[in-house]
Amino acid sequence: MYDVERITIEVVSAIACFILVRFMMKPFRLTGETRYLGLPLGFGFLGASYAFSALSFSPVFDFANRGWVQLFVRAFAFLFLAVTYYFSKSAKKPKLLWNITLGVLAAILTILILLAIMSPQFSWPNYRLAQIYVRVFDLVCLSYISIHALKSHMEQPDPTTLMIPLGYILLGIGQYSLLIWAVDASIFAFFSGLALRLAGLAVFLFVSYRTFYSSEKRGNR
Amino acid sequence: MKTIPRRDKLKIYGDLLSALYSESGAGKIVLTQVQVRINVPFDRLKTYITELVDLGLIKDETSLELTKKGTQYLREYERVLDFMKRMGLEYR
Repeated sequence: MYDVERITIEVVSAIACFILVRFMMKPFRLTGETRYLGLPLGFGFLGASYAFSALSFSPVFDFANRGWVQLFVRAFAFLFLAVTYYFSKSAKKPKLLWNITLGVLAAILTILILLAIMSPQFSWPNYRLAQIYVRVFDLVCLSYISIHALKSHMEQPDPTTLMIPLGYILLGIGQYSLLIWAVDASIFAFFSGLALRLAGLAVFLFVSYRTFYSSEKRGNR
Repeated sequence: MKTIPRRDKLKIYGDLLSALYSESGAGKIVLTQVQVRINVPFDRLKTYITELVDLGLIKDETSLELTKKGTQYLREYERVLDFMKRMGLEYR
């Protein structure tokens, strides 16, 4: 039921995330600092999880543990973003520590995906429970990022810095709606979650576009 | 006592190009004013200027005018910094 609507939302979300990756690469490309690599990785994995979610409706991707892969990839996407914000707080935190964290996270994600694809232990009843825990974890990551971004805004109040915390908060409420859906299968909560996610991603796209393109119209330099 | 965070070369180059750009708008570029604006010792400022000339971001050490590449770099640098600020990320 509602498969077409769901596939459409997943495809649009994936496209939005992949467009955002292009913008999120810029801080890393300019500074060359690996601590900003979590941004493109986070949005890239988020886009991959939405794309995977859309593809899972196709018979080609109809393997037993497809839900696990999507769940892990999405959780790691939020984790990459949260870790980036944690490490961005201070340049004093050693680069080596960030590189190790990044490597360990990538290794754990790879192992989990391989386990989910190959191991029969990841069965359906466990998935129902895991889905709740993972969504709570996603919510914790998004809350941390939202608080961090809001703190940054409070330190230097500026109307332009308020949009991104709003984007993360929308993604967080979206995750909360999906958590409700995972618990009591409410279709209203499910589609509210998807709509809030789209709204959150739209905020990110708007901010990115305004920063990199509309300043050109302002005619500076 | 408030401590000033250490800047890396990229930040210093960005600040220097920005200062040179705005000083050039006011007429003749006075190096001591640029030095005060970006807060570096004079000998280091001269070194940075030489490096920027070598990188092709400034025309020469006398005119201190930004090249097309320099202007493009400064524009991209300011946009990315603005983007990072909007994202709630710190760059020092």
